[in-house]
Amino acid sequence: MPAPWETVIGLETHVQLRTVSKMFCGCSAAFGAPPNTNVCPVCLGLPGALPVPNELAVKLAVRAALALGCTVHPRSVFARKNYFYPDLPKGYQISQFEQPLATDGSLSYLSPERGIVTATIVRLHLEEDAGKSLHDRFPKQTAIDLNRCGVPLIEIVTGPDFRSPQEARAYLLTLKQVLEYAGASDCDMEKGSLRVDANVSVRRAGDTALGTKVEVKNINSFAYVEKALTVERDRQIAVLEGEGGAGGAIEQQTMLYDAKTNSVRPQRTKEESHDYRYFPDPDLPPLVLQPEFIEEQRAALPELPTAKRERFQTQYALSIEHAAVLTSDRTVADYYEAAVHAGAEPKVAANWVINEVLADAKDHNEQLRVPAASLAQLVSMVKGGRLSQQAAKRVFVEVAERGGEPRNVAEALGLIQVADSGVVAAWVSEVLGAHATEVSRYRNGETKLLQFFVGQVMKASRGKADPKLAQKVLEDKLAS
Amino acid sequence: MNDPSEALASAKAAADRVVKTKRLNACLTGPKDLRKSLVAQAQAAHPSGVLYGMPVAVKDNIATLDFPTTCGSKILEGYRSPYEATAVVKLRAAGALITGKTNCDEFAMGSSTEHSAYGRTLHPFDKTRVPGGSSGGSAALVAAGVVPAALGSETGGSVRQPASLCGVVGIKPTYGRVSRYGLVAFGSSLDQIGVLGRSVHDAARVLSVISGRDPKDSTCEDRDPLRLPTVPESLQGFVIGIPKEYFPADLDPAVRRACDRVIRLFREQGAAVREVSLPHTSFAVATYYILAPAEASSNLARYDGARYGPRFDGATDVRALYRATRGQGFGAEVRRRILIGTYVLSSGYYDAYYRKAQQMRALIAQDFRNAFDRGVDLLFTPTTPTAAFKAGEKLADPVAMYLSDIFTVTANLAGLPAISLPIGRAKGLPLGGQFIGQAFLEDELIEAAYALERVVPATTEA
Amino acid sequence: MSVTHDEVLKIARLAEVDVSPEALPLLAEQMSRILDYVAQINSVPASEGVKPFVPGPDAVRFRVDEVKPWPLAFGPAKLAPVFRDGFFLVPKLGQFEQEEG
Repeated sequence: MPAPWETVIGLETHVQLRTVSKMFCGCSAAFGAPPNTNVCPVCLGLPGALPVPNELAVKLAVRAALALGCTVHPRSVFARKNYFYPDLPKGYQISQFEQPLATDGSLSYLSPERGIVTATIVRLHLEEDAGKSLHDRFPKQTAIDLNRCGVPLIEIVTGPDFRSPQEARAYLLTLKQVLEYAGASDCDMEKGSLRVDANVSVRRAGDTALGTKVEVKNINSFAYVEKALTVERDRQIAVLEGEGGAGGAIEQQTMLYDAKTNSVRPQRTKEESHDYRYFPDPDLPPLVLQPEFIEEQRAALPELPTAKRERFQTQYALSIEHAAVLTSDRTVADYYEAAVHAGAEPKVAANWVINEVLADAKDHNEQLRVPAASLAQLVSMVKGGRLSQQAAKRVFVEVAERGGEPRNVAEALGLIQVADSGVVAAWVSEVLGAHATEVSRYRNGETKLLQFFVGQVMKASRGKADPKLAQKVLEDKLAS
Repeated sequence: MNDPSEALASAKAAADRVVKTKRLNACLTGPKDLRKSLVAQAQAAHPSGVLYGMPVAVKDNIATLDFPTTCGSKILEGYRSPYEATAVVKLRAAGALITGKTNCDEFAMGSSTEHSAYGRTLHPFDKTRVPGGSSGGSAALVAAGVVPAALGSETGGSVRQPASLCGVVGIKPTYGRVSRYGLVAFGSSLDQIGVLGRSVHDAARVLSVISGRDPKDSTCEDRDPLRLPTVPESLQGFVIGIPKEYFPADLDPAVRRACDRVIRLFREQGAAVREVSLPHTSFAVATYYILAPAEASSNLARYDGARYGPRFDGATDVRALYRATRGQGFGAEVRRRILIGTYVLSSGYYDAYYRKAQQMRALIAQDFRNAFDRGVDLLFTPTTPTAAFKAGEKLADPVAMYLSDIFTVTANLAGLPAISLPIGRAKGLPLGGQFIGQAFLEDELIEAAYALERVVPATTEA
Repeated sequence: MSVTHDEVLKIARLAEVDVSPEALPLLAEQMSRILDYVAQINSVPASEGVKPFVPGPDAVRFRVDEVKPWPLAFGPAKLAPVFRDGFFLVPKLGQFEQEEG
């Protein structure tokens, strides 16, 4: 019996940096402008135009590199990657080749199959984005929009470290999280600020040599990452196993993923594979970073996700799962801590955020609609017995929809619980008086009738009694 | 000159002179457009500018808002640049009058202006001969007395060589002294805008105006504009090096006589003269013709008919469009250099050619550093191996044309400033000699040139 | 060493430049001549101690991140040979080509 197939995947991610202007010119880098309005001689590639690098782009690239544990090289060089394509006006892309900004980093993530695993970041370098080609807008023509041309990018390349499409996706989500934390990018695959190409090969488990790799492109969402890689892996295995076990060979090529049919097809070009003829860009002196500059970027990094999660676990006594959810997004983590600082008990607040707050956010465009201080107030009211858990959820929804202070909203809705033992005692007496038979049965040993009595007290009080207090008073009265 | 009527008169007279010398095919701008623009410029110019009313022509590979920028090529026929080169902006701010665009070898690739798509430029003294190149149009206009100065560009000597062949002054600044924003790129690590002038003073004052920092060019040094030195009394205190590799045994006898005469004058003017050696000189042309085409192949990739310029049509798909546009839009010399450049950068050849040429370049630059470190202030050499050659003479063998750059390419490779001035005649044709100076010490270069200009019998037979 | 016709065509394809069959032989000959000439640099041994030479500033200067484009006297519509609805237009790519590079 041959050993099972093992999948080997490497990822190349292109991430747009959060700057207002482009990498080599002062045009706006904003998404969504009318076509060819954010252009100038430089990004149009006009004769005689020259590049001048964006300082913030360099800073954010360094921060990203540090957040990924890379070695940032004090001297790196811009290089030209030469090829012809309609959305590449100069006929070359300014990138980095032999001397990139950063190398030798790593990123740990939670693999669905192997627990916590570390992916190697082979390199991270700066480059400029190309424009956009639209092939379907006009018949027989390609329409070109150069607004995106020149937007700053970092390219992040991993080793062949992933053993399943699921791992690839998990890594990407973690990468997105870290880059968002570092403030480098908003990593929105829908908007194109994060794009990924994958290299996929398969081999028999136990083999050390790598199989022939195939590049997969045109993957446009995190969900499609898994699908596309699964489709390609299955295709390769089918080829290698052949019809009736005959066995073929994998051809090294580039495949394009088609989301509509969930399939991959070859990107066939008429000529041979690209020869990019990289050479150092003579229009740009070397990128030299002083030690102080690099340290400033390190200092500008916030607490990163793993460190924050570990701190939440110890500081707030949360489980690793809860801490992970709370720190998956920096805004959520900050929100949670604001609620705790406003007085909410950490574990309870955690449950509220993970359940009510995030569910509401999911349906409302990721907005955290209830202010952290209000959440803290709600949590305190439940703790103090003034609201039942159920009532509090109602108040939460109300505050999310229409705002207001939880205290006032609860009163307006008549949900404030009665925690006055005297008043509760009256209801208890009423209920016990009305159910003498059940009282006897209880005193004869049917102690589970307690919940029945509690229910009756709730009914009598129209839900206003604090059920815990009611239970206590009942127990006392029934015992006497 | 300090009032608008004088500027207007200067403008009109310049336009007249351009029309009168039409036969030279040096100016690509039509007379009507030229006159209209000059009059408007004269009215708009600031009287306080240091070049107020001075007509200055501009090589057609430098972007101007008035007049098309064709770079002497069909692929940019009729192309109007929507922005202007920093050097031109500075000229205007100084009150100069942009007197049309001058003919040049296509994309500045050539040494005779025979490779222009708009016809060759004639040598002002002998219409059967070339004015040199690639800034042949600028040199011819200055030599013919049409304008006192003109902008050209250097990659391998394209200002100094035509200056030498036409008998005018040509200055190449230190790399990074003048902004390249708006200079259509050919060999980016070699290119500089330079100035041709009827005298050292004319050329130097224009250079002074166009020099200085520019945030739009990352390779332009953060320095103040060049300050003009005063004319020195003599060459007392100067140590002038004579590199033996520039005086080979088979040097043209007239060129040698003219240079010997200059060297005698140096001594008479009080300079110390020393022989030096720049041992890697013989590899300079080969090094240049690897690096410049390599950069050019990349710089010219943008010309594809997609976003500007004419489109050579009938294309079925975009690659066919590119190939047709570039195949028909580029002339033979440009196409040769693009292919050579693509070859030397391609996988399998990069190390043997491009990387090796970069190493050679470092050795050539080191040769100059060593000479200057040994106490030499300036070097003096012939600018060109011969006087102006006949049109068609060097077209059969591309390498023969390349060898006319033999004395000029080294300064471009080393990024150093240099100035060529007329030093004599050979059968009536001008001969040029050049000073090569230390980086950013153009003032010493210009001082020495002033001193030589004053005493050299530039128009007498050598 | 000579450049063959096939090599010239391969390089021409990389450089996206048409070479007609009539022009090919002379072009190959001239390119061979040039490449033979420039190859002489290989007769010089590599020198260990020489600093690599890059003219210009030692380190690149940065531009502040702000929206301040260099001026354009007129926009793409006036520059382009073919322009519609705000887009540059070119004939469509060959059949199988999609996103590249």
